[in-house]
Amino acid sequence: MNISNVNFPNVNRIIHAYRVAPWRVQRQWIGAALVVVVVLAMVAALYLNIASRTAIAGREIQDLSETISFSRQTSADLQTQLAKWTSAQSLEQRARKMGFRPVAPNETEYVAVAGYVAKDSIDLSSTALPRLNAPAISPEYNQSLLDWMDRRLVARSVYQ
Amino acid sequence: MRQRYGRRSQFLAAMLALFALGIVVQMTRIQNSPEAETFRQLSQDYAYEWRAFYPRRGEIYDRNGYLLAGEKIVYEVGVDLNMMTDPHAIAYAVADALDLNYDNLMSVMQNPPDGLSYIVLADYVEAPQAGYLQELKKALNDQAPNGALGGLTGLQFKSHPQRSYPEDSLAANLLGFVNRENKGYFGVEEKYDSLLAGNPVTVLVPTNPTKAFEIPDVPDGTTLILTLNRDLQAATEDILDQALKTYGAKDGVIAVMNPQSGEILAAATSRRMDLNEFWNYSNIYDNAAEFDPIISKAYEPGSVTKILTMAAALDSQTVTPETTYLDTGEVLIGGVTIQNWDLNPWGVQNMVGCLQHSLNVCMVNLAVKMGANTFYSYMDAFGFGHLSGVDMAGEAAGRLKIPGDSDWYPVDLGTNAFGQGVAATPLQIMTAASSIANNGRMVVPHILYAMARDGRQYKVPDQFGSSPISAQTARTLSEMLAVSLESESSVALVPGYRVAGKTGTAQVPVNGYYDASQTNASFIGWGPVDDPKFMIYVWLETPTASQWGSETAAPVFAEVAQRAVILLDIPPDAIRLQIAQK
Repeated sequence: MNISNVNFPNVNRIIHAYRVAPWRVQRQWIGAALVVVVVLAMVAALYLNIASRTAIAGREIQDLSETISFSRQTSADLQTQLAKWTSAQSLEQRARKMGFRPVAPNETEYVAVAGYVAKDSIDLSSTALPRLNAPAISPEYNQSLLDWMDRRLVARSVYQ
Repeated sequence: MRQRYGRRSQFLAAMLALFALGIVVQMTRIQNSPEAETFRQLSQDYAYEWRAFYPRRGEIYDRNGYLLAGEKIVYEVGVDLNMMTDPHAIAYAVADALDLNYDNLMSVMQNPPDGLSYIVLADYVEAPQAGYLQELKKALNDQAPNGALGGLTGLQFKSHPQRSYPEDSLAANLLGFVNRENKGYFGVEEKYDSLLAGNPVTVLVPTNPTKAFEIPDVPDGTTLILTLNRDLQAATEDILDQALKTYGAKDGVIAVMNPQSGEILAAATSRRMDLNEFWNYSNIYDNAAEFDPIISKAYEPGSVTKILTMAAALDSQTVTPETTYLDTGEVLIGGVTIQNWDLNPWGVQNMVGCLQHSLNVCMVNLAVKMGANTFYSYMDAFGFGHLSGVDMAGEAAGRLKIPGDSDWYPVDLGTNAFGQGVAATPLQIMTAASSIANNGRMVVPHILYAMARDGRQYKVPDQFGSSPISAQTARTLSEMLAVSLESESSVALVPGYRVAGKTGTAQVPVNGYYDASQTNASFIGWGPVDDPKFMIYVWLETPTASQWGSETAAPVFAEVAQRAVILLDIPPDAIRLQIAQK
């Protein structure tokens, strides 16, 4: 039912007055402007939030990479220290301190053990460590919104 | 009233809009001004910087997995001038801990180069000293009143790797060393420098701290596994050091090689440097050839080369082992009289006696019978005057004068036959002699056993040179050499193992003349004769206890051989034959 078709003179006048009221137009303008401002603020807040989070994530990746690098350095350092402790000179000194002496050739006896095959050399392939280099950082973690838009525009222009 | 307010509002709005427009216009103007372009360029220049990422240098292992060259952590100690609060405290602490000059440190901190905010005070600081300074800095920070900074605020520590040699001077001549610019010198470090160092990667890095950048994937340098046996190397060095004392020799070398594969198992030199202190190089060596004389120092080897002359004579069918001759004690060649080592005649001798008594007259006769062309063709084929091809830096080629050279004289044919007037390195002689031990085929000596990269190990195949003599000649000569050692009950004999070998005693040329009071005593030998697993070369320079190789170098050979058979797990001949029969 259309209310304007009802024959109520006072009601029609009120509706008319409401429709032509100047503050109503102003409110519409203000409302529209506020909507624009709120949308822009939301976009800006979202942008800031994402940008800061990506920056932090990127930094964390770098920190972890540096930690890995330092751990590998430490591992190599410890391996070298261990080699120093087990060096020929060090072992001989410790053995002598413990009362051992070098065996004379005439004190040794060769005993053949059936089935025993002496190891010819070390095989380092089985002890290979997995690659610990930093994985590739995907663009989501180091790209700003503007960079992303720029890349998209460039990509579009290339395909066109 | 309402209209007046309306006009005021409109005026205010217009002014604000005008103001905003002014800002936009000004922003546009600034951004398009000539200065803006300059600033943009500056910002771009500083937005990124090139940074090099260096791979870890590959490690070096011996064949049994003992680490010979690795890395340790050292520290760069520096100061951030913007954060520094007390330069006196920093200078005092650093000078005390690192034994540096206090005034110099103060001068550097108070008068920094323009534009620098970080200054390096010391680099390659060992972990204990750096740790001490770090603890001191922390303690001073903890003791400082609330909100205050410790006296060592601004002092910074950056860790980085440095080449380290856990065995110190062991096998120094073979390994070489790496300086602080990460460049290899001598030995394996120089020969395989690019392989060990890997490939550094340089990338453009943003200076904006909020921009994460991708750390490049830099593969480590290649790890090398050497043919060296660490325990045999240590034993050989001990024996050499003892031999120098016992026989009063000035210097010496002992090399052990597998004559069937060319693998260098040990190579000891009397002058050895702690590779962790490579800056002492000039205090230890007078010239580069002294770093590893086994490959770099050519000398007149003397009678050990008689085995090669005999090999040539047998192979060219000039003589057989049973061929006899009358030794008169001297022979004339090129107008010069050559005499035996004892100046005496030895009567009728066959070729075994010729080798057993190391008769110079015999060798001159052989060379003359063969003729210069044949003799020098064989010497050339044995590798005299050529590089052996060993994979270590700094090899010398030696010298073999041949007819036609301006300094070759007819007498040289005779003297070259017993090892005078010819210069060769110990490794060259071993390479030549490997043809006798290895059924006529020469090996290419090498130190690299395998390479490891990306979790995979690659075995380096053995390489072989030419075959200057036939297998039959090689076997015959080996037998002759073994018999000659056994006949004279040589001190070079090894109980339980049959060995072949030859002594060498060569006078040292001084200012163009041979000095009878100085000799180079040498011995080359290998065993077991029927299946050689080791070849040992001993060279003692100017021994004073005795000038003869048979009394100095030969017993050293026996001592090394006795240790080698244990450490290389070589069964005595009797047991080996029993196992083979089963």
